[in-house]
Amino acid sequence: MSRTRLLRAGIVFVLLGAAVAYLHDPPWAGQITSGMRDWEEDPPGMRFRWTAGRASFFVPANATSMTLPLRAVFPGKDGNPVVVRVSVDDRWLADVALPDSSAWVRPTLPLPRRGTRRFRRIDLHINRAVVGAFVLGVMTGEISLQ
Amino acid sequence: MVSRIEHHAVAIIATIAVAAYCWVYTRPDADPPIRSDGYNYYLYAASWVVYHDATLEAVANDWNGGAYADFAGMIRWPGTGRWINRIPIGVSVLMLPFVVSAHLLSGWSNLPKDGFSFYYQHAAGLAGLLYFIAGLWLVRNTLRRHFQPSVSLVTLVVLTFGTDLFHYGVNEPTFSHAFSFALVAALLALCDRFWSPAGWSTRHSIALGLVAGLIVLVRHTNVVLLLLLPMWRLDAWRLLPARRRDLGVAAIAAATIVAPQLVYYHWATGSWFVNAYAVHGVHFTLMSPHLAGALVSTQRGLFFWSPVLLCAVPGIVFARGWVLDIRAGALIVLGINAWIIASWSEWQYGAAFGHRAFIDCFPILAMFLAEGFAWLMDHPRLVPTTAIAITLATALSVAQMIQYWHHIWPTRDITWDQYRALFLTFR
Repeated sequence: MSRTRLLRAGIVFVLLGAAVAYLHDPPWAGQITSGMRDWEEDPPGMRFRWTAGRASFFVPANATSMTLPLRAVFPGKDGNPVVVRVSVDDRWLADVALPDSSAWVRPTLPLPRRGTRRFRRIDLHINRAVVGAFVLGVMTGEISLQ
Repeated sequence: MVSRIEHHAVAIIATIAVAAYCWVYTRPDADPPIRSDGYNYYLYAASWVVYHDATLEAVANDWNGGAYADFAGMIRWPGTGRWINRIPIGVSVLMLPFVVSAHLLSGWSNLPKDGFSFYYQHAAGLAGLLYFIAGLWLVRNTLRRHFQPSVSLVTLVVLTFGTDLFHYGVNEPTFSHAFSFALVAALLALCDRFWSPAGWSTRHSIALGLVAGLIVLVRHTNVVLLLLLPMWRLDAWRLLPARRRDLGVAAIAAATIVAPQLVYYHWATGSWFVNAYAVHGVHFTLMSPHLAGALVSTQRGLFFWSPVLLCAVPGIVFARGWVLDIRAGALIVLGINAWIIASWSEWQYGAAFGHRAFIDCFPILAMFLAEGFAWLMDHPRLVPTTAIAITLATALSVAQMIQYWHHIWPTRDITWDQYRALFLTFR
């Protein structure tokens, strides 16, 4: 291998390594969501987003707890409450039951101690989804962090 | 100078494509890359890589409470109750390296390993973009073997920006067309080599078989494009028996890559061969094709929305040398392909820019385009007028593509009155 090729390979290797290191804790992760529709407002002032059967979002790692407004809208199977399983970085945190489909539930959930990254990933798994033109899980309101 | 630009043409187009991709997907109202038909094309890859599931049940259970949204058109096959995707597995197979990378990267970055989050979306999108560029590179290599650099350069630019190819490589890259474009470009290059006097090996036979198999896996009806091999030259079919070993190796490679699709069909429906569209009420009307609609209408006409492709006409009529050798066979293949496209009961192919179904055969059309440009360059009196016309037609195509990106055009059934009313309006 010529010196020029060796140099080029070295530069590519270093750049790839730097990119991989950067992507271990990307500063923009806080803006990433998955399985959530765009923000809507109804009634005026009440902002919410629909989830699909699963959804993910990020919260800053220094938050100690979060209040997560949830509303089922559509009832669960056989009249049972809709249950939202909440996990943090793949660890179970809580199961939130939504027995009254028309009411907002605002559980405050303690977050585990800060890890090594800037953000923690919150995953929601809903035990039923309504499927038509879209897939609708539950409504999530604006999250408040403490 | 022209030669140097031509040498870097694909890299320059790739740079423009990446910039356009970034612009498209960073707009506030941008849809994700995996959408519409792209969802169905990608679905297998997510199911295999993320959920280790070939039945398509796990994605439905995890995301959708055990079902699929209406737009996906997924059905449980009557009799077996198993999910059938109307779209075959080919695009997912070609996406696999990208999706595996996205999956590993999602774990590394602590992003959701759910098959549809940030990295997966752009892995699928960039896969289509990369196949589009790979297709251009293959077309360029074939052009350079038979044409001057100036002809190759003009052909590449016109094919990219004067048609809907750029749109389907950049804005809707998870649809099948960028993938088929690359595969048919590879088929063309392999056909050219297959019928060349020397330089064919078992490695080439395997490559031919894999490409042929993938063409069928990506879009079953594109099986007609494989006729290009036996029809490459008028006397080609007579020479085929002497190449039976090469063809046998290619057939084994093709059968190997197609086999998983047949296994899936058999598992899901009990039949090895299935028209998964039949249950959706769409079908072929082979005795009454919408040829005018598919080729010249305001709704979807190939030549109405990409008028620069008419430059292929002198290339067909006045073909010389290598293009003359392949003309008859290529025209028969293009004709059968057009007939099949126009015979589909949904001949507009849903919401689309231009007629997307023809993109798959653009590598073949590119040879006639290049011959047309070569013929024009041999007639200097025609060059100024045609150069202006080609530039305007290409610019019009780009303008209309941007209009489509801004949702100016109705998604289907565009009338002449609508076209006139919306001509070059951007709000």
